[in-house]
Amino acid sequence: MNLIRLATKNIAGSAFRSGVVFLCALVVAGLSLSTVLLIRGAQESLRLALERLGADVVVVPEGESSRVETALLMGKPTTAWMPQENVSKIANIPGVAVASPQLYLASLANASCCSASELFMVAFDPKTDFTIEPWLKRKLGHELRLGEAVGGHLVFVPEGEENIKLYGYFISLKGNLEPTGMGLDQTLFLTFDTAQDVARISRTRAERPLEIPANSISAVMVKMKPGADAHTAALDIIQKVPNVTPIESPELFQAYRKQITGLLRGMLAVLGITLVLSLVLISLIFSMAANERRREIGVLRALGATRVAILQSLLSEAAILALGGGAVGIVLGALTTFLFRDLIVRSLEMPFLFPSLPSLLTLVGAGLIVALAGVTLAALLPAFRISLQEPAIAMRE
Amino acid sequence: MIVSLQDVTKVYTISQENIVTAVRGVSLEVGRGEFVIITGRSGSGKTTLLNLAAGLARPTSGLVLLEGVDLWSLSDRQQSLLRNRKLGFVFQFPSLLPSLTTLENVGLPTIFGTNHRGQSVNDRAAELLDLVGLSDKLAAYPRQLSAGQQQRVVIARSLISQPQVLLADEPTSNLDEQTEKEIMSLFKDIHAATGVTILLVTHTSQLVSYGTRAIQMANGVVVKG
Repeated sequence: MNLIRLATKNIAGSAFRSGVVFLCALVVAGLSLSTVLLIRGAQESLRLALERLGADVVVVPEGESSRVETALLMGKPTTAWMPQENVSKIANIPGVAVASPQLYLASLANASCCSASELFMVAFDPKTDFTIEPWLKRKLGHELRLGEAVGGHLVFVPEGEENIKLYGYFISLKGNLEPTGMGLDQTLFLTFDTAQDVARISRTRAERPLEIPANSISAVMVKMKPGADAHTAALDIIQKVPNVTPIESPELFQAYRKQITGLLRGMLAVLGITLVLSLVLISLIFSMAANERRREIGVLRALGATRVAILQSLLSEAAILALGGGAVGIVLGALTTFLFRDLIVRSLEMPFLFPSLPSLLTLVGAGLIVALAGVTLAALLPAFRISLQEPAIAMRE
Repeated sequence: MIVSLQDVTKVYTISQENIVTAVRGVSLEVGRGEFVIITGRSGSGKTTLLNLAAGLARPTSGLVLLEGVDLWSLSDRQQSLLRNRKLGFVFQFPSLLPSLTTLENVGLPTIFGTNHRGQSVNDRAAELLDLVGLSDKLAAYPRQLSAGQQQRVVIARSLISQPQVLLADEPTSNLDEQTEKEIMSLFKDIHAATGVTILLVTHTSQLVSYGTRAIQMANGVVVKG
């Protein structure tokens, strides 16, 4: 027998009280972990997406920035057009290192000529692209040939087929990019030549042809020279290129960032309220328990327990319940977030990337510390108060 | 003297208007091996006197010495260790921990630092339970025992650290007459067998015959003995 065993025996002996504290620790740890997972998942997803795009400025047709951002963020297919001559105008802006055009296309929904429904397609110019090309060189060792494409993490060839069929055109999927948790994961990347070939074939094989207006592009990805100011370039673009909107990298997905920030503030507020309520409840329970157990504590003091031993015994009970409840809460929180991540992404309309294992383990440790510190802190005051009481008074009715 | 109370007073301040002097100016010397029975009516101050002698209550004034050591000059740790090693307690109320078995309850004081001179705690606890006639109840929980059996377990627990002084506060008040006799006989047997000093508080004056000395209290003072 030792103090820890005594604490576990006391926990087992008061099932209701222990159950409530266990549940509080479970809720605090589970909710803390889920909230942090969502915050980190959204932030990491945005960071990776910006890194993937690699552009200092994205130039889109005027009035289309919201739709283009939605497409890139949530993979919702869109089309937007501006004159191709904008590319050379933008490339000539001082400080611009590369201006690479992109075409935004959409597959046909529920059409027999398309095996992938509602797929967002991004066509790029291999000569200037800096978004996909570096990945292609690193992973495939060559550029995409006619009829080839690479997909985001969630793009796949339908079961039983060898290619993805779009507008009656068979596209060979050569690889998948790393996950970002955003719309880019559901996007098919192909070259301008392949996009034009799909448009040509679609005229005879598709239910509805793929229309790419002549001499048109959807967006221009701009990479600045080292040391050049993207903001100055963006102002130049507004002045020199008509009917376009330049979006600087830090401003990209700004609306979503605001939405996510608002959402996360709400979640943090809920977490804060839950935390405070749980701690108050735990403190009340421990106060009641300490009061109920006054006589028992008086007896333990008479038997030779020091004030410190009484404090240790009561706090051990709190710590055991916190660790037990916290561990279960964390497993449930992580599991729920993992299993329902698609539902969360859809219902909250926010990007999300489940963190890597080392990152998750750090968060699990942090969650356990939160539960342990919270519950122990809540139990500290009543435990301290009762430990100070004179044994003879504690034993009195 | 093993226990010495010198001009001890204990005042309880319940509220500004309600101040109770439970013990007033009591001096008491208890020699090693005595079996002292303290009697008195309810509210006479006998339980407070016992608590003062045990260091469970701090005197408002006066000195409490155990083997010549002023209890209230010690730190909490020293005082607790002294209680653990030199004193045994039997309370009026059920004082067994409900979540522990009989054997675990008897061994409970050992987690606070009792030295067992090499003997295992469980062996010593089983031996003591045999002494109080409960060798067949080692694995039982308090709720499975009668009031008399529970008090026997408490007596066994009070002996686990081979104390110098056994302090018993109304140990038979919740028991029927027959069980009361059995428990008092047990105290007498323990006293005879071990020579332990016993201070026993009771409101039943007929029980003084079990002790070697009787003290009577009234209104917080010793009136006889």
